[in-house]
Amino acid sequence: MRYLRLYASFLRFSFSRAMEFRLDFGFRIVMDMVWYVVNFLFFWVLYRHTTLLGDWTYDQAMVFMGGVFVSDALHMTIFSNNMWWLPFYINKGDLDFYLVRPVSSLFFVSLREFAANSFVNLLMASGVLVWALARYPGPLGVWPVAIFLGCLLVGLFLHYVLNLLFLLPAFWMHTSHGLREIYFSLTETMTRPAGIFTGWVRQVLVTVLPFALIVSFPTRALFEGNRWPVVLHLVGVTAAAFVFALGVWRWGVRSYVSASS
Amino acid sequence: MRWAVIRDLLTTEIRRRMSYRADFWLSAFSALAVRLAVVWFIVKAVFAGSGRPGIGGYDAQGMLVYYSAAILVGKLVQTTELEQGISQDIYEGALTRYLLYPVPYGVVKYVQQLGALGPAIVQLVLFGAWLPFVVGIPRGFTAAGIAMGIGAIAVANLLQFLITFPIQLIAFWADNVWSLMVMHRFASALLGGMLAPLSLFPDSAQRVLQALPFRYLFAFPVETLLGRISAAEWCAGMVVALAWCGMMALVGRAVWRSGTYQYTGVGI
Repeated sequence: MRYLRLYASFLRFSFSRAMEFRLDFGFRIVMDMVWYVVNFLFFWVLYRHTTLLGDWTYDQAMVFMGGVFVSDALHMTIFSNNMWWLPFYINKGDLDFYLVRPVSSLFFVSLREFAANSFVNLLMASGVLVWALARYPGPLGVWPVAIFLGCLLVGLFLHYVLNLLFLLPAFWMHTSHGLREIYFSLTETMTRPAGIFTGWVRQVLVTVLPFALIVSFPTRALFEGNRWPVVLHLVGVTAAAFVFALGVWRWGVRSYVSASS
Repeated sequence: MRWAVIRDLLTTEIRRRMSYRADFWLSAFSALAVRLAVVWFIVKAVFAGSGRPGIGGYDAQGMLVYYSAAILVGKLVQTTELEQGISQDIYEGALTRYLLYPVPYGVVKYVQQLGALGPAIVQLVLFGAWLPFVVGIPRGFTAAGIAMGIGAIAVANLLQFLITFPIQLIAFWADNVWSLMVMHRFASALLGGMLAPLSLFPDSAQRVLQALPFRYLFAFPVETLLGRISAAEWCAGMVVALAWCGMMALVGRAVWRSGTYQYTGVGI
């Protein structure tokens, strides 16, 4: 309850801050719209020349893209800004202010800033996903859609954990810019159907660097008859990644010397 | 124009870029490897799904070469870190000191952009060297094609700067132009042939794309390098690209004049 009240305060401050920069607010909404259109056109161009891409038809790929947009918008709204600032807090010694508060420091640094401008994009992304599901020619069913949406939330949490894991080396390194670059590159694998990856690359992307699980596995859970192995895989990897990230965070906080660089 | 100032700006930027070595190598190898891997699998999946040996004038190997070259050429055309430099100068009021320089501000920034190419050229040489062993040597690869390609890349780099310059100058009026820059990056990636070769688009769309500036950022230099463009087509393309450079320079000049007229030097 205490954490919910705290999060409500974060939301209040974030919205009032976002409304101070109204032009930027508008620019960001248009920016995401451009990203949606570019991705849709990209898949449309590819599907002009093929009927299947990683075992998925064009209609299935549209649902997948809707899932990508919703997952990305949620990540941008809830976590992205906070994750952006984390290495700066660590390197400048500003993490002190978070460590001394009487709440979980990881909760605070992960959720303090709610991106109100991305929230509008979340509404648009949700609309795109509803449209993609509504135009799907086959029967989907309420239960598979509910599992799909639940898995999308698990995937979102996995996305946050992976983002965090790529930033935590900032506790020991002078800069985490290179790792951040790698993280951004790897997120590209999240926006492509996991079915296109084969061999050991596929194995890596569904276990050690599980970016391919974030949206592709929820989509597989929607379209595949035997969905429980997919769901269990997603939940298991997410839980393992979170436990690992929590351990690294605690280790990092112990190593943190508060000296700025 | 003071050439000594320009030389110093260029060498300073190159040294600055090469300083964070661990970061440089991490982002150079890993990020490029991931991008190459993703396009590799996309090409394989598209050809496997279509069941055809050729798509949009490319076989699977040819398309892999195209994507690989586009990624490397893109490094020479886009210098992402400097994309925020101009707007940052305006926000912080740092633009004031440049107004006292003996060289126009746009030239200073462009020379800095050229200096920032140092690491990208190192990456191009390192990755370009082993690329033929992995994806093969393109059939139309010739010395003339390379020479024309270098010219096309140089114009593409200039065009990229001239397109982003007025966008960044919007910082005179707007609180944050970062999202505008990202919009440009998204749009140019698709319409410029970075996400997919332009020959995969419908014919009607290709005709429109020929006239827009985006093609001359990526697809045109890459196709020239790979020997897919004749000398006559190259000349025609360079004329269109340079015309866009001229047009964008005029736009940039107008926005610069209008912006500096009301610039206070205070910063945000």
